[in-house]
Amino acid sequence: MANQEVAGRKPLQVLEKIRENLERLNDKMEVMIELQKHGRKDLQQPLPDAPLDVMTLLSMPDHLRKTAMTLCRMGRATADEISGQTKRARAVESAYLNQLVIMGHLKKERNGRKAYFFVDRENQR
Amino acid sequence: MIVMGKIVAVHSYKGGTGKTLLSVNLAATLAEHGRKVCLFDLDFRAPSLSTLLKIEKTECWLNDYLNGTCEIDKALLDLSDKVRDSGKLIVGLANPATEAIRDMSAKDRKWEMRALGRLLALRTSLLNDKGFDYLILDTSPGLQYSSINAIVSADLVLVATTFDRSDVDGTRRMLRELYDLFEKKTEVVINKVLDVSSKAGKEEIQSKVNDVYEVPLLGIVPCFCDILKARGGIIFAQEKPEHPFTRILEEMATKIDKMG
Repeated sequence: MANQEVAGRKPLQVLEKIRENLERLNDKMEVMIELQKHGRKDLQQPLPDAPLDVMTLLSMPDHLRKTAMTLCRMGRATADEISGQTKRARAVESAYLNQLVIMGHLKKERNGRKAYFFVDRENQR
Repeated sequence: MIVMGKIVAVHSYKGGTGKTLLSVNLAATLAEHGRKVCLFDLDFRAPSLSTLLKIEKTECWLNDYLNGTCEIDKALLDLSDKVRDSGKLIVGLANPATEAIRDMSAKDRKWEMRALGRLLALRTSLLNDKGFDYLILDTSPGLQYSSINAIVSADLVLVATTFDRSDVDGTRRMLRELYDLFEKKTEVVINKVLDVSSKAGKEEIQSKVNDVYEVPLLGIVPCFCDILKARGGIIFAQEKPEHPFTRILEEMATKIDKMG
């Protein structure tokens, strides 16, 4: 009985794990594609917690500023929600958001299948 | 028709261009039009709204809200009794004490980032939850953190400027190198104009604004001796409803009301 339950649940868990890993891989690939497109200059000095203040926004390349500004207004959003505001493709926004996470300007957390991005203003000391 | 509330930042390149005069009178005019208006003094380096409104004490200043030590409700003062009709006028003040000015001048980037978050949160707390039609932000001149925070938070930026040469050059640079980057809807108000009596004079100014700034002109304010004589002691929109300055403000308020 116990073996049957394990046998029935395990493939689902394995598939879920594969899906999660594929999504993470996809995020990383999107970042790599964008880096190739814009060069590595966006990530010259990645910082663990780089404050997303207005001067940082001003110094960003235009494509990243648009994404960052939209997220600032929305507070917390998925790539899909940002894409709805900027009218750029979801995959493009996902890549820019992940770039901003790597640069230390944004935080990312998963809630089920969705990845939420936000500016962690209060915890930056 | 207004669909949702709007945040309007009043900014300038140089000081003394009439930002506070414009902010206060525009807020009062919109309130006279029956709108629910909130006016904030975000010029923390040279606060002036408390003096103009003759308010010496308040439960909380906007400094406290941005410091995270009080809720926004406690920094709001209701001045609706000074408004005719059904409008509502609420103000939030910057602390004019020297110590407070010094404190605000010494803030670091991380504080400014949190302050931006608190300004952005006003869209929810004031416009959405409390149903304000307008939040007007009177800012510091030039490219300072507090004024850029206000610009980033705003839906519309009104730039108060004069025909002073250094002001024209600085304003033009600011429009291209700051507002364009943030993709902000911007309108210019030309203040202290010496000759606008003729139609040709107005057209010349309109043409100059189009050529130099390449943004829409919201209004032209002549240099009124009455304003200089008042020395910032009266709100024209409330106390002198028939004054030409009040009429100009009414035209501007109507244009802003009609913007989508």
